[in-house]
Order: sequence, then C-alpha cells, then structure tokens
Amino acid sequence: MTDSTAAAEQPPAQPAREEAQRRVAALPFDQALAELQAVVSRLEAGNLPLEDSIELYEQGVLLHDHCGRLLSKAELRVQRLVESAGGQLRALDLSLGEAEKR
Amino acid sequence: MDIATTNHPGPRILGVAEVTRLVRDTLRAERGLRDVWVEGEVGQVSVSSAGHCYFTLKDERAQLRCVIFRDERQMIPFEARTGLRLVAHGRLDVFEPQGAYQLYVDTLQPAGFGDLALRFEALKAKLTAEGLFDPARRRPLPAVPLIVGVATSLSGAVLHDMTKVLARRWPLVRVVVGACQVQGPVAAGTIVSALRRLARFTDPATGRGVDVVILARGGGSLEDLWAFNEETVVRAVAACPKPIVVGVGHETDVTLAEFAADVRAATPSVAAELIVPSRSDEVSRLRGLDQRLAAAVTRSIADPQRRLENERRALEGFRPGALLAAERERVGLLLDRATRVMTGRTALDRSRLSRAADRLPELLGGRLARARSELERTAAGLVALSPFGTLERGYAIVRGPAGAVLRDSDHAAPGDMLDIRLARGGLDARVEAVRDSAE
Repeated sequence: MTDSTAAAEQPPAQPAREEAQRRVAALPFDQALAELQAVVSRLEAGNLPLEDSIELYEQGVLLHDHCGRLLSKAELRVQRLVESAGGQLRALDLSLGEAEKR
Repeated sequence: MDIATTNHPGPRILGVAEVTRLVRDTLRAERGLRDVWVEGEVGQVSVSSAGHCYFTLKDERAQLRCVIFRDERQMIPFEARTGLRLVAHGRLDVFEPQGAYQLYVDTLQPAGFGDLALRFEALKAKLTAEGLFDPARRRPLPAVPLIVGVATSLSGAVLHDMTKVLARRWPLVRVVVGACQVQGPVAAGTIVSALRRLARFTDPATGRGVDVVILARGGGSLEDLWAFNEETVVRAVAACPKPIVVGVGHETDVTLAEFAADVRAATPSVAAELIVPSRSDEVSRLRGLDQRLAAAVTRSIADPQRRLENERRALEGFRPGALLAAERERVGLLLDRATRVMTGRTALDRSRLSRAADRLPELLGGRLARARSELERTAAGLVALSPFGTLERGYAIVRGPAGAVLRDSDHAAPGDMLDIRLARGGLDARVEAVRDSAE
C-alpha cells in the first residue's frame, strides 16, 4: 500500500474511469461476460493490494451492469443479406411483418 | 468356374443336385445379387396356406420369380397386387427342389416413391463411406453467438417462428438471413449459394462474421423436402466453415443434410432454441457473479482494515498525537472510498430493470453498514485504550535518570541508570552503549 491518500488520487482517476466506462459500453455480451468472470476470479484469488481490489471491483460492477443492460434492453434485429452484382454483401434490415407478407 | 475339369481330368457326368448346387453357389458368390433393388410390374400373385406370398415381377423382356415369407410380409405395410409397379429389395437365391432361382424379398415399395428412397439410401451409403456423417466431425456450438446466419425461405412461417423464439430467448443476437428456395428444382442451388453467402458475410462495423448458421425448412412430404437430400446441399452443409444446425420438417422427417450438420434439430424452432442461451439463465448467472464480486471485495477490504487497526494500536501508546490522527484519516479515507464504491453501486442497481437482481445491492448495503459500524466501534474503543494496554502487548516504557520518557538514544549516555516499566513490574538498568538512531 502506498502512502499517498485515496483523496489525492481521485481527480486524475476520473478520466480513466470514464475511459473504462466507454470501453465497457462498447463490449459485446460474450466478451463482457468473459471479462466479468476473469475479474471475479482475480478478486476471489485475493493477494491484491487494496487499491487494486477496489479498482477491480469497480470494473466488475461496470461489466456486470453493462451485461444486465444488454439483457434487458436488447431487441432482436433481423436483416437480410443481399448480394450486389460485384459480389458485395450487404445486410438490410428486414421487418418480421415484411417477411411474413412475402 | 470349372471344378469338373480341374479336379477330374476328362469329362464327368454330374448329378442334377450337383449342378443345382453349383448354380446356387455361383449365385450366392455374386455380391451384386445379395442386395438388389428390382423394379417391375407385378404379374401373378399367390399366397400359400402357410402365409408366404409368391409373385412374379416382369417387364417387357423378362420375368423374375419373387417370394415374401410370412414374417417379412407382416413387416411390410404393402401388398403385392397384380398390375402394380413395384420396387422390391432382397437377395437372389436358388430354390433347389424346383430348380428355380428367385428373389427373396424383404422390402416392397411403390415404384414412384421408390426412386427417391433408393437415391436417398444410395447417397447416404456413399457419403457415410466418405466419412461425411462421422460424429467426430461435429463441432460444438458457440456458447453466446452474436450473429446467427439463417438460410431459409422468406415466405412461410418458418423465419417468423424462429425469430419469435430468438426474440423471447435471446434478443441480443443479430439475425442475418440468406434467403433461398426450399422446394422445387432450383432449391438445392439457392440453398448452396445462401450458405456460401452467410459464411462469407462480415459485419463492416465489427469485422465479425456469423458465429453459427441455421438451415431450416418447415414440414412436408419426402418430395417437398427433397432438396435437403441433394448431394450438393449435403456437401455444402458438411463444408460450412461455421458450426451449422439443420432443422428441417417435423420430428419424424429425416434428411441427409441433417446428418451432415453439427447439430440436428427436430424442427426450425428447436434449432433457434438450441443456438442461443436463455436470457433468464444468464440473468441468474450474472447474479451469481455479482454476489461473488461483492463477497470478494468485502474480504479484500477487511484484511487491510485489520492490519491498519493493529498498527494504529501499536503506535498509540507512544504517539497519540499527529500520527494517530493521520493513520485514522488514512483508514477513514480508504473505508470511505470503499463505501462510496459500494453504496454508489447500490443506487445504480436500484434503477436496474431486473427486479430479481434488486435484492442484491440491499444485501450488499447491509453488509457494508455492519462492517462500518464495527469499525466505528473499534475506533471508539481505541481512544479509550490506555498506554498500559500497550505494555500488555510487549512494549515497555523507558525513563532516563531525570524521570523523563526516553524516545531518542541521544538523550542517554553510557553509565546512565534507566527505569523500565513493563506490563507487570519494572527493571532498573544501566546503559552499556548508545547506538545512533540512524543505525
């Protein structure tokens, strides 16, 4: 444990946290879940300085909440693959009603 | 074969039974006659009193005598009747008492249907021999797919049914449809190209392709489902670079494409179920991880707290002033930070949608509050702790000749008498030498 107080570290830590938030928010579910599992395992293994534990915990909370948000807010997206003359593939949104009508 | 000439030089006269046996053995040795499919029109039919059925199969140029024994007859849901076109399967053998060769039938099918069934069996045998259906080839499905490619028709209920399942079970997945025809003469070609398109697709934003592919079609007759027994389709399924699930028809329908798949699903909806995890399972998994997270951080906070407390107690007897205040502040700040982290978390969690997960922060908050009040109690106890309590832990108070407490070796000289106060009793001692405080 270092002698510097937690209060002294707070201001420079802020941008780093925002950065972490942005990074986590962009993660797909499977990666976020894998990271969360890794964080929990590291934390459970112990032997970490307190600062690191708290940092890990904060990271774990970000990941957990991100996963929870993904689970509760997701809406199924259905697209149709269309191939252009040049062989280029494009995915166009397809509404389910449209699929039924065809 | 000419047993007669090799074994006995010169011509030899054979018995009828001998010749018949020779014919029989020759016939039996011919592999192509042990397992034959024969198509023809049924001629005369007769059923013996024992229940065996005798009939002839014929075409414009020849006739073949056939027999179905009673046991086989009972297994075959189909009766031979004069004038029908049939496909019969069985082995050729000689019936010696009558000197007649005949087909011993074990399977009978109407001719039109028989064509497809034959092609099915033939292709199945061929591809099995190539190892295309080898269970060892089957790959596991990804645990959590992000993009699923679906090859199916845009018309009909199949796509709708599958997206309904996915929306309920795992709406996080993105569905990319490779449209194809699933019936008719061009179906096989469109299925193959749809599978290729899906395998080739990569999302420009993330660079990720499909994680798993589903090939699906609703139920239908053998003819309707035939495209899924075409060799090109079966091979395309086997060659799919991504794990592939095939769900065609109802439970009872079997197609060769399914054998070549990594996973065979009974129906399209089952295929959709199989490829994604369930949202409720994942919610409870997350809850479990959350609990472990909280427990682990609580443990890791508790240990430094205890150590700091110990240090502070040790120091208190000697430096009750500034140092103690600084240490107390340090403990307080760390604890405050931990508290902030965890209670900030509580507020955030309350606003979460998952009601089930809501109990957790409360538990966490309760635990934290308990830990906090425990610490406060300890701190209060500390203030009241007398310096003599410190002696109990093995420290001593040393006074110089003037009676002042010694904190610095510079304040004593060799020969000085010292008064040492221990937890129980005291000592009079003399200074032998003085070590510099720098040592």
